Amino acid sequence: MRISDLIARIVTQRRAYVWLGVSAGAIVCLIIFVSRISLDSDVLNMLPDKFSSLQGLKIYDRAFEQTRELTFALHCQPDEVDKLEEFAPIFAEHLRKQPWAERVLAGSPMQTPDGIRDLQSIAVPLLLNLNPPAFEETISIVQPEKLRERFHRFREQIEAGSPRAQFELEFDPLGLIGPALKPFAESNRIEEEQPLASSDRTMRVFLVVTNQPSISAFECQRVMRQVNAFCAHARDGWEGGPLDVLVTGRSAYVAEISLSMRHDIIATVIGSVVLVGIIFFAGFGRWMPLLGMGFSLLLSCLAALALGLLIFGRLNMVTVGFCAILVGLGVDFAILIFGRYQQARTDSESHPQAISTAIQKLGRAVFFGALTTAVGFLALILSGSIGFSQLGVLIAIGILFAGLFMCTILFLFVREGQPPARHDWIFEAVKKYVAWSVRRPAPILILATVILSGLTVFGFSPKPPLPFDASTRSLQPKKSRAADALAAIMSNMPLRWEPVLVIVRAPDMQRLRDDWEKISAHWSELQVAGKIKTFSTPAALASSPRSIQHNRERLRAIDFQGVRRTLNETLDAEGFSSDSFSSAYKLLDDLQSVADPNAPLPNWRDKLPKSSSWWFLVDRYFAQDPLLTVGFVTSNEPIKTHAQYVALSRELPVPTVPMILSGWSYTLANLLPWAQRQLLIVTSAMAVFEGLLLAVLYRDWRLWAIQEITLIFGISAMLATMKLFNLPLNLLNVLAFRLVIAIGVDYGIYVLFAWQKARAIEHDIAGVVKPVLLAGLTALAGFGSLVLAKNPSLSSLGVACAIGIFWNLVATIFFTLPAAAAARPKAWREE
Amino acid sequence: MNPIIQQVGRDQSLLAVARARRSICLTALLFLSIAPLANTEALSEADVKNLLARIRENRITQADFQEQRVIRLMKKPIVNSGKVWFQPPNKFRREVKGNSPSLTVSDGQQLWIYYPSFKSAERYSLGKRSPLDSVIASINSALNLENVENTFKITATRTGNGYELELTPRTAAMKRAFQKLDLRINDKLQAERTDMLQPNGDRIVTVYTNQKHAPVPPSTFDFTPPPGTDVSTPLGR
Repeated sequence: MRISDLIARIVTQRRAYVWLGVSAGAIVCLIIFVSRISLDSDVLNMLPDKFSSLQGLKIYDRAFEQTRELTFALHCQPDEVDKLEEFAPIFAEHLRKQPWAERVLAGSPMQTPDGIRDLQSIAVPLLLNLNPPAFEETISIVQPEKLRERFHRFREQIEAGSPRAQFELEFDPLGLIGPALKPFAESNRIEEEQPLASSDRTMRVFLVVTNQPSISAFECQRVMRQVNAFCAHARDGWEGGPLDVLVTGRSAYVAEISLSMRHDIIATVIGSVVLVGIIFFAGFGRWMPLLGMGFSLLLSCLAALALGLLIFGRLNMVTVGFCAILVGLGVDFAILIFGRYQQARTDSESHPQAISTAIQKLGRAVFFGALTTAVGFLALILSGSIGFSQLGVLIAIGILFAGLFMCTILFLFVREGQPPARHDWIFEAVKKYVAWSVRRPAPILILATVILSGLTVFGFSPKPPLPFDASTRSLQPKKSRAADALAAIMSNMPLRWEPVLVIVRAPDMQRLRDDWEKISAHWSELQVAGKIKTFSTPAALASSPRSIQHNRERLRAIDFQGVRRTLNETLDAEGFSSDSFSSAYKLLDDLQSVADPNAPLPNWRDKLPKSSSWWFLVDRYFAQDPLLTVGFVTSNEPIKTHAQYVALSRELPVPTVPMILSGWSYTLANLLPWAQRQLLIVTSAMAVFEGLLLAVLYRDWRLWAIQEITLIFGISAMLATMKLFNLPLNLLNVLAFRLVIAIGVDYGIYVLFAWQKARAIEHDIAGVVKPVLLAGLTALAGFGSLVLAKNPSLSSLGVACAIGIFWNLVATIFFTLPAAAAARPKAWREE
Repeated sequence: MNPIIQQVGRDQSLLAVARARRSICLTALLFLSIAPLANTEALSEADVKNLLARIRENRITQADFQEQRVIRLMKKPIVNSGKVWFQPPNKFRREVKGNSPSLTVSDGQQLWIYYPSFKSAERYSLGKRSPLDSVIASINSALNLENVENTFKITATRTGNGYELELTPRTAAMKRAFQKLDLRINDKLQAERTDMLQPNGDRIVTVYTNQKHAPVPPSTFDFTPPPGTDVSTPLGR
C-alpha cells in the first residue's frame, strides 16, 4: 500500500485515533510550553555573540548603574523660562519623593550646598589618593609662608570685589580641597558635555536612578507604569502654559519594546490570519479547511516552540516573529494540498481517493519544499547570533511539522459529503492563462525576460547603492515615546554623539589605577595628534593603595599644631572672622587623624553619602564591582562606518592593558561586515546548496537552469524594488533574502514537478498554478501583516519578504511556466 | 522747714521735671513717628508702573558711588568708592579706586574683572546660565530698573521728596543672588542708594552721587587685558 493511500485511509477511517494522537501530542507540547516558558527580551541577543564589542555592551548593561538611569526633561514655551526656573526645584523634589527613585540629579552638584558639603567630606581620601609628586606640591601649601601669602592675597582680592576669591575662601580656605578634587573636576563633564538645561532655558533635564532590582522586561514595565503615573501629575504646581514632561532611558525603551512585542504578536498573527483566511475563502469557498489549516499551523507553532524550549531552554522574544513567518510558509502547503484535493474531487474521485491523489501528486513537492525551507533557515545557525539561531531552528522545526500536518491533520477538517464548488472562476482564469502561455510561450517569455532582466541589471548595479541602515534606530519601535523624548532632548542640547566605551577590569585597585594611567597617557597623545576628540577616564578616581600609604607617611612629618597656630594668626592679621573658617580647622584635624599609622586607609567611596548627586558621576565610571570600570572616548565624527571602527580599534588599545571597546555605534559599525557577510556569503551558500538539491531533484539541466534563473530574477527584482522605494537593509531584514530564496524554490518545485509529470497539461498545470498563486498571495498577506509590527526590524523584514515573494510569484508564473513550455515542448505535443 | 517735707517737695519737683521731660520725649516721639507717617505713602500698582516708566525716561548713565560690603568672612565691612557707567540694557563699567582698585566691565556677553594691583583678570561668560547672570541682572535692575516687573515683586512708598522701592526676587535664580533689594530714588528720579541682602547674610550698601545721564562712548564697555595680565575663567568657558 502506498503511503498516500495509508494516510488517506487513516484520516478517513480512523479519525478518532488520529484525534486522540493529535490531542495527546498537543497536551505534551502545552505542558512543555507552560512549564518551561522563559523569554529573553534582550535585543542584544539577536546579534552574534562572538563579537567582543557586543559582549562589552552586555557587560555595560548588566553591571553599570547607568542602565537604571532615567532622563526626565521639562520643556516649556520660550516666554515661560522664568516659571520653569521656579518650577524645576518643585519637580525635582516630587521626583525625590517617588518610591522608585533612588537618586536625583537636578543640576550641577557644585551649585548646591549639599553637593559642596559632600565634596568636602571626601576631600581627605582623595587628597591622599593623589600621585606623590602632586600630593607633595599640594600639601606644601600649609607651610607658614604660603599660608600667609595666600590669605593676604585673598583679602586684597576680596576688597577689590573678586567673586572668585570669596568663593574659594568659602569652599576651600586652605587650598587643599581643590587639588584633591581635581580628579572629579577632570571627570565631571556633566555640565560641559551633558548640560542639564538647554541654552535657551526652555528645557530642564533631570537624571534619576531607579531602584528597580533588574532591567528585565517585566521589571521595566512595572517601573514605567509608576513613572507614567507620576508624569500624569508631574505638572502639579506649574502655573504656566503647555509644559512637556519627557522621559527616556533604558527602562523606558525596554518597557516600550517589550510591550510593542506583545502588540506585534497579536497584530501580526491576527492580521495574517484574517488576510490569509480571506484569500483562502476567495480561492476555495470553504471555511472548514481554513479552520483545519489554522489548527495545523497552530499545532506546528506549538510543537516548534516546545522543542525549541527543550533545545535552547530560553527563547528570545524577537523570535516570536517566527509565528507570522511560519503562517506565511505553512499556508502554501495547505493551499497546494487542498487545491489538488479539490481538483480530484471535481474529477469525481471519492473523498479518500482525492486525499490519496493530493498527497501522491504533491506530497513529494511539499516534502522537498519544506526541506529546502528548513535547511535555508537552519543556515541561520551560522550567523553566530543566539536569537537568529533560535529563529532558524524554530522555523525549520515548524515548517517540517507544517508539511506533515498539512498532509494529514488538515484532512480531518475536510468533510466527505461536501461537494466541490461548481464554478471556480480563479481556476478558469488560471487555466486560460496556462493554455495561452503553454501554447505560445514565446511572447510572454520574451516580455518577462526583458522586464526581469532590466530589473536584474538595476538591482545588481552598484549605482544607486542599496542603503544599509546600521543605526540603533533600526532596532527600536517606530513610534516610541522614549525615542521621541530622546530626540527632543537631543535637539535642544548641544550637538554630541555617542562615545566609544572602553571597559577595563583589573584584579586589584592598584592595577586598575596603573592601567587607567597608562590608558590616559596614550589617549592624551591621540588627542594631541587629532585622532580623537575628547576622552574621560576614571584614572584619578581609582584608588591607589601605594600612593595613599606613601602620602600618609608624608603627612606624619607635618606639625599640625604649628599650622593651626599660623592659621589663627594669619586670619586675625588679615581681618578675617575665624568663625567662618571652621571647615579649615576640621580639615587639619582630619589630616592629622589619617596620618596615624594605626588608622585604616581612608576610602572616598565609604565617605560619600549614598544620596549624594556625585554618585551620578562615580557611576558613570564604576560598576557595582569597583574593579570593573569604563572610560569614554569621543571620536572626531559620529561612528557610522566600519573603517572608523577599524581605526579606533587600532588606535585606542594599550598593549599591556586588557580592555573591551564597545558602545552601540561602535558595535553596529563592527557588525556591518557580519551583516553583509550574512547577506552575500551565507545567502549565496544557501543558493548553491539549493541549486545542488534541485539538480538532484529535477535531473534535467534545462528545468534546473530555468529554476535558477527564476531565483536570480526574483532576488534581483526584489533588490531593484528596494532601491526604487529607498527601503534600506538593516541588521535584521537581510534575513529576507534566504527566506525569499526558500519560498522561490518551493514555487519552482511545485510548478516544474507538475510540468514534468503532467499528462493533461491545461488541467494538471492549472491545478498547481492556481494554488501557487493563492499560496503566493497568502504568503504576501502573511508577511505583509508584519508591517503592522511596531518593531521596525520585524516590519522591515515583513516588507522585504513581501516584495521578494511578489517577484518570485511573478517570475514563477510569467517566466518559469512559459520557459518550461519552451524548453520542454514535447510534453505539450504528447497531450 | 521739716527736712522731710523739703525732701518730699524736692522729690515732687524732680518728679514733675521727669514727667515734663517724659511728656516732651513722648511728644517728640509722637512727632517723630507721625512725621514719617505723614510723609510715607504706599504707592498703588498703577502708580508703581508710572514711577518705573518715569525713572526709565530719566535713566542715569554714570555716577559716583560709595559701597559698603558686610561679608561674613571679614570682621569689618569693606568700604570702596569709585565711578560707574551704564548703558541699557546690560552694559556697564565700574571702576573702584583706593588701596584695592579694580575694574569691572560688561559688554552684555562677557564680564571682566581686572585687578591692576595683581595684574590679573577674571573673565566670566554671561547669558549661558552663568551663576553671575542673576548678579549682573540685579546690578542692572538697581541702575535702570529694566524689566524689573517680571523678575521682582515690587513695593514702593513715597518718602519726602523721593521714593523707597523694595524689590523681592520672583525667580529662583535671582533668589540665589539676593534675598531683597531696597532702592532709594531721589526727587530727580535717580537711584540714590541700594541695599542688597544676600542669602548667606552678606550685605552690600551702595550710595550713588553725582548722577548724570550724558551719552557714554561705546568704547567705555570694551575691555582688553593689558599685556602680561594673568587671565582666568573661574566658571569655565
